Amino acid sequence: MERRNFIKTAVLGAVAGAVTLNTSSLIAGEKPENNVVDKNKPVDLVAAMGWEPEELYSKAISQMGGMSRFIKKGQKVVVKPNIGWDKKPEFAANVNPLLVAAIVKDCLKAGASEVVVFDHSCDECEASYRSSGIEEAAKKAGARVAFAHDEKYYKEVSIPDGIKLQKAKIHEALLACDAWINVPILKNHGGAKMTCAMKNYMGIVWDRGYFHTHNLQQSIADIATYVKRPVLNIVDAYRIMTQNGPKGKTLDDVQTPKAIFMSTDIVAVDTAACKFLGQFNEKVNMDVVSHIKLGEEHHLGTTNLDAINVVKLAK
Amino acid sequence: MKWKNVRVLRIVIALIFFATITLSFLFFSAGKLPFSHLLDTIQFGPAFMAVFVGSALPFIALLLLTIICGRVYCSFICPLGIWQDIVIWIAARFKSKQQRRFKYRKPNVILRFGILIIIALCLIIGISYPFALFDPYSIYGRIATNIFNGAVQGINNGLSSIFPASVSYMAFSNITVWTFVVASAFFCLVTILSAFWGRMYCNTVCPVGCFLGLIGEHAMFRLQVNESKCKECGLCGLYCKSECLDSKNKYIDYSRCVVCFDCAKSCREGALEYRFAWKKSKTQNSLEKGKIQNPGRRDAIFALGTMGAILASRKWGRKIHPAKAAEEEKEGSLIPPGAVSIDHLKEHCTACQACIAACPSKIIHPSITEHGIDGFMMPVITYKKHFCSYDCNACSQACPNGALKHISLEEKQLTQIGKVQFTAKNCIVFKEGTDCGACDEHCPTKAITMLPHKKKPGLYFPSVNKNICIGCGGCEYVCPASPKAMRVIPNEIHEAAQKPTVDKQEDIKVKDFGF
Repeated sequence: MERRNFIKTAVLGAVAGAVTLNTSSLIAGEKPENNVVDKNKPVDLVAAMGWEPEELYSKAISQMGGMSRFIKKGQKVVVKPNIGWDKKPEFAANVNPLLVAAIVKDCLKAGASEVVVFDHSCDECEASYRSSGIEEAAKKAGARVAFAHDEKYYKEVSIPDGIKLQKAKIHEALLACDAWINVPILKNHGGAKMTCAMKNYMGIVWDRGYFHTHNLQQSIADIATYVKRPVLNIVDAYRIMTQNGPKGKTLDDVQTPKAIFMSTDIVAVDTAACKFLGQFNEKVNMDVVSHIKLGEEHHLGTTNLDAINVVKLAK
Repeated sequence: MKWKNVRVLRIVIALIFFATITLSFLFFSAGKLPFSHLLDTIQFGPAFMAVFVGSALPFIALLLLTIICGRVYCSFICPLGIWQDIVIWIAARFKSKQQRRFKYRKPNVILRFGILIIIALCLIIGISYPFALFDPYSIYGRIATNIFNGAVQGINNGLSSIFPASVSYMAFSNITVWTFVVASAFFCLVTILSAFWGRMYCNTVCPVGCFLGLIGEHAMFRLQVNESKCKECGLCGLYCKSECLDSKNKYIDYSRCVVCFDCAKSCREGALEYRFAWKKSKTQNSLEKGKIQNPGRRDAIFALGTMGAILASRKWGRKIHPAKAAEEEKEGSLIPPGAVSIDHLKEHCTACQACIAACPSKIIHPSITEHGIDGFMMPVITYKKHFCSYDCNACSQACPNGALKHISLEEKQLTQIGKVQFTAKNCIVFKEGTDCGACDEHCPTKAITMLPHKKKPGLYFPSVNKNICIGCGGCEYVCPASPKAMRVIPNEIHEAAQKPTVDKQEDIKVKDFGF
């Protein structure tokens, strides 16, 4: 590690410690415990709870070392939120538009030459982009919102490490970018049991039906082995859908824990999210959300959160 | 008053109608123009159909308009008529002065009344299909969706390959071959006739033109030759695109006059005036009575009477007509929410394609064989390319006829157009023993829920509650199994679905992240 980065991390670690000590008293007397395994290494995972979306984001990203740790000057960046459904933000079916806007702005601030936002929606694309509020928010923040409603926007690539899924058509914007940020929203899911960072990959591909016919959980783990990995996973858990997911019926399906998870490790962030969601829906656990462990078997990351540097922030 | 100025007004109004109606059929603007629906509803076909399901007001307004002003509908309002005027104008740019001239022509009585009578008889016994085929607004709708929209989409897709970031690619998914063929046939017929013979189509084929002619012939206001001003130069006859002005005899066949004011513009003396005509109808326009017959007001009354009979008889007529018996043997097809039933649709739809153009998910297509012969080109839903958006009722809002009732979003979300049918042996969960749940993902009412598999812990399979299913087809579209495990079986008569269950949840506050 470069000296500068080391110092930066050390300082941030110290700040994080201070912040945690000061604010932890609100959580019924319990102190969220940071797990810093190796002080010489940067933070692997940040979990934060209790703030508004933009604030959550800025607190968490600074713990991670700032966006410049992930995005370099002049890079073409893709921010890939979940915009699956023709639903308004309060239904928690799509990522919070405020979070998307904050990420886009931060990427541009870090020197990105272009930020592209897209998702292969399940509901009609145009309506989903509109209702989610993400199209408007992302454009305002300076991103380009790419079309993703037609097969012609997807190009076939091979997934050499896939067990069930060896090739897939992936969106051209993602193929063309220098770095991408995976931005899922945490939801219960009828098929995969939970949708979060790894499941969010299904929005970069065209033929999702193939996943369902070829062992959904394995295919989800397989697609995450695609050679271009996200530089960062940012899980929106400001509002979460705890039942009837991923589309949801009413506002009754939504809880508002005001949380965020961030990690470079996609397996770790999904593990954290799964344990978090398990507190709201006892049916969600690491056993039923089996793609997380399958991801670990693919060496995409670790499910052992004690083995990595974790910072927890809570109001 | 300078009557040629009215011509300018006519052109302005006509272009507003034409542009708005055309835009309401183009993919980028369909369903997005707030006032286009109003302009659609006062079209003859829609107004006539609305008498049975919606309001008789637009139809009465049209009749009154014609009784007072003559066939202004054909020049100001009808998009097919305006299209012909545009063709006539363009064709004139390519013609010599000689070729540009029109000349008085005798009406083709057999053809125009033949078509009208056949269509009227069909309407009386409850077959509205021939009317749907010949209603000029609906013809224009089919031309606009198939040809104009197709062309615009082609241009759009060309642009989308040049500007991929800003122009969205649109697949040609809602055009079917046979509708395209029919639309093209009418397009060619109308365009060619108008390029060479003015408003020939309106006065020989169009049943609406013929019917309005019967009333327009005796309109309160008509274009008349002011004999004190007329220099008998014969210029007006050369400009009459309906070819109904016999300048030699100073005779105007008002049953064919579309009140375009072109003659008034052509006259250098201002001798053609749009005047109150009821008092003078006996002396006017019949200098040589022996030569040209003026059929009298009887026809107009007869026409209105026939129309009344049609209106009265259609309610019971539908019950006896032969196509109905045949339908019952067929498996049904899905029709848009608001259509009430396949019978209701067939009775009131004129196949104008407005709903097809308005559907943002492009799941409504013109029927080829799905609805039978008498449902050709009427809307049918398939879930091959997409499914019906839960938060959308665009089709029912677009229908100008009342063939699709104007249902609110809340009503639409409880309108069951079909019921889901689950075939377990096709389902991935049972066949492969792996998770799937694509159907459950897409179900907006949670008529599909995932239940734990008894023998394989951790595995969940779909279970359906047909009572809350609205037949949106999310499950059918997305089901990855082949053959599909989820299929929507059409309701021949739409039913009311039960309200989705509410799964109350306490506000949960967590103390920790859970790890």
